[in-house]
Amino acid sequence: MKFKIFRYAGEQSRYDTFEIEPEAGMTVLDALLHIQARLDDSLAFRYSCRGAICGSCAMLINKVPRLACRSQVSELVEGKVKDKVTLKPYAAIEIKEPWNKEDEVLVEPLPHLPVIKDLVVDQDKFFEYYRVVEPKFKPGDEHPEKERRMDPADMAELEKYTNCILCAACFGACPVDGEKPEYLGPAALAKLYRFYIDPREKDHESRLLQANMESGWWACQFHGNCKQVCPKDVPPILAIGKARQKLQEIGETP
Amino acid sequence: MHQYDIIIIGGGLTGLRAAIEASESGNNTAVISKVHPLRSHSVAAQGGINAALGNAPGAEDDSWKDHAFDTVKGSDYLADQDTVDVMCREAPSAVIELEHMGVVFSRFEDGRIAQRPFGGAFFPRTCYAADRTGRNLLHTLYEQLTDMDITFFDEYYVTSLIRDKGRITGCTALNIVDGSLHGFTAKATLLATGGYGSLFARSTNAPINTGDGAALAFRAGVPLKDMEFVQFHPTTLYGSNILITEGARGEGGYLFNNKHERFMKEYVPKAMELSPRDIVARAIQREVDEGRGFEDQFVHLDLTHLGAEKINERLPGIRSIAMDFAVVDPIKSPIPVQPGQHYSMGGVASSIDCSTPVPGLYAAGECACISVHGANRLGGNSLLETVVFGKIAGESMVKGVKNISAPSIDPVKSALKAELARIDSILTRDKGENMASVKEDLKNVMFDHFGVFREEDKMKAGIKQLEKLNERLSRVVINDGGRLFNQSLIYTLELQGMLLISNAVAQGSLSRQESRGSHFREDYPKRDDEKFLKHTLAYYHDNKTVIEYSDVTLGRYPVKERVY
Repeated sequence: MKFKIFRYAGEQSRYDTFEIEPEAGMTVLDALLHIQARLDDSLAFRYSCRGAICGSCAMLINKVPRLACRSQVSELVEGKVKDKVTLKPYAAIEIKEPWNKEDEVLVEPLPHLPVIKDLVVDQDKFFEYYRVVEPKFKPGDEHPEKERRMDPADMAELEKYTNCILCAACFGACPVDGEKPEYLGPAALAKLYRFYIDPREKDHESRLLQANMESGWWACQFHGNCKQVCPKDVPPILAIGKARQKLQEIGETP
Repeated sequence: MHQYDIIIIGGGLTGLRAAIEASESGNNTAVISKVHPLRSHSVAAQGGINAALGNAPGAEDDSWKDHAFDTVKGSDYLADQDTVDVMCREAPSAVIELEHMGVVFSRFEDGRIAQRPFGGAFFPRTCYAADRTGRNLLHTLYEQLTDMDITFFDEYYVTSLIRDKGRITGCTALNIVDGSLHGFTAKATLLATGGYGSLFARSTNAPINTGDGAALAFRAGVPLKDMEFVQFHPTTLYGSNILITEGARGEGGYLFNNKHERFMKEYVPKAMELSPRDIVARAIQREVDEGRGFEDQFVHLDLTHLGAEKINERLPGIRSIAMDFAVVDPIKSPIPVQPGQHYSMGGVASSIDCSTPVPGLYAAGECACISVHGANRLGGNSLLETVVFGKIAGESMVKGVKNISAPSIDPVKSALKAELARIDSILTRDKGENMASVKEDLKNVMFDHFGVFREEDKMKAGIKQLEKLNERLSRVVINDGGRLFNQSLIYTLELQGMLLISNAVAQGSLSRQESRGSHFREDYPKRDDEKFLKHTLAYYHDNKTVIEYSDVTLGRYPVKERVY
């Protein structure tokens, strides 16, 4: 089994191919760790929990943004990925470097963010947009003595968005973020939507207005790549659609 | 040179909760973390956080004292009862505070925070956000900090603490991204770096949990406490050892051996699968060792009788973990599980106010041993410890920095020189041992010789192996000589610390000739209160680990046999 991996360390980028014996259940992260430990200890990539919850290891695997820890190697090469995704094409996933899909896995850094080294990208911009939406709970009243009660029926919709792990896979998959770097992107907007629909929040309308701008809700072109690649099934595209509908209802467009 | 009033090392729940306190006091505060705070291991906590809210039907009479009793009993009476009181008394307000910060806890029909049963607890007391409680808590605390005046040094690895005239006055840290080394001064420094799970093969812990805080403290002359108490979680996924939450048994999951027997009835007929973790872990290991496991490796955790609806609502994360990492759908088939290292009860010796024996240094959370867990931690108490003692650590540092003048920068300058030399010696060595294989061997030695079942000869053989590994460590070589995001350099620095503190685990285990909580000696299967109702203190003197003992703080609950 071969891994064709993007390499960069401040100079000319290149691709290195490593051949390793796949073990049962091996994930792309396992493979990267094996290569780093045994074949080339200068290979750099982020990871932490290896259990698909910390959001560190999003990268472009066979031209799809995925968590390396959650991607089974066997399913990738045999072309039978369970959650088979068909992405709306965008510049960063055009095939510039050929790879043999039968026995190779292509691993590249997450698109739309500057590469620091190999598979490690600079996420400053991603987190800057996260801060733009003021991701801090703003309750409507003085804190009660105990918890604010919540109808369990409201929870399912809210949890869809609190499940986001900020891995930035959606950011790397969004064709709009590739063309308009000022677009806040799916993750930040999903986070904003999570506060907008939280029944405990104070001023729901002002939450919507926070991203009522060309680089906010209105930049989305509904390609839907965000929902397709999300490892936690968060649907930013649905949030953005509902937010825009509401803004139109109340006559607020930029 | 960076100068701060308060420096917090570690950006998990403990560090972030302390940071809120520090920042609100107006002190100039920095958080240094080797990963982005949201990638900290707190994120992986699944099952929940304990507080005697009494929300569950039939649990109206629950009180913080019941919680304290369960915790002390669960600890096999090694926990300090004064610190347990603080944790359990503060628990309800800590959980309510988190809810007020916006945490989306799961709810009962009446809208109050839902609570589920957990092992070793008399009442259903564990509050949760489905099976992603740590993730919800960590993201919410980080959100709280987004508009506060705090400097984050993300992806900086702390290489040493500065000790000046008997006080900790700062640290040195390597910027992982560009490889530059930085000096910091602080009037107060908090270690909140998490546990030392990565010492062991088969661990649920993130590989980043390398016990950095314990190693930093140990080198700086601060004792480590109760390091031999290492929790082995009964149910980790066979293959990857990813955690399968105790919540799965809390919701009614069964354990089966290869004869399709619910074997827990042979061990603890009353509490069955909901016995405390140390007991269930030993039962599973016994079944496997005596040939009643599957493939001589694992047993089955069966959730199929719970039905699709309950699994999808209460344990959605567990279902995806089983499907993604073991290709098993728990709605249809049992999950293959085996015991694996899960939690570090031991850590940097710290007091009820999170101060350590060395002024200027504080420790809290899993990296510390304030001793709320004693010899065995109950599920749902670790998240609780992080927020309760994170807050207390913050408050203590705010008090502690008053009237302290800015530390001298001279000791930092000389530490920078020494640390640069240490780093250069690793980067320039060109022949020797492969670093990754030394690390792998260390993990196997620790799991094989200091694992679920311990015994004198086995441990002595393990200590010999550790000595050999120490020799190999001094010859470790890495090929990447660059400065840019050099992970192999970081691994080597981590490994130096791991081997150092593995001695404290090993010596503590060998010296403690009794069985208590997670520490089970085949050659001393009984608890011995006369000799060992004591905390172990490991000191690092002249390149050797020296073991001493100190008294346990007792209280309301008399020491009794631990029966479930």
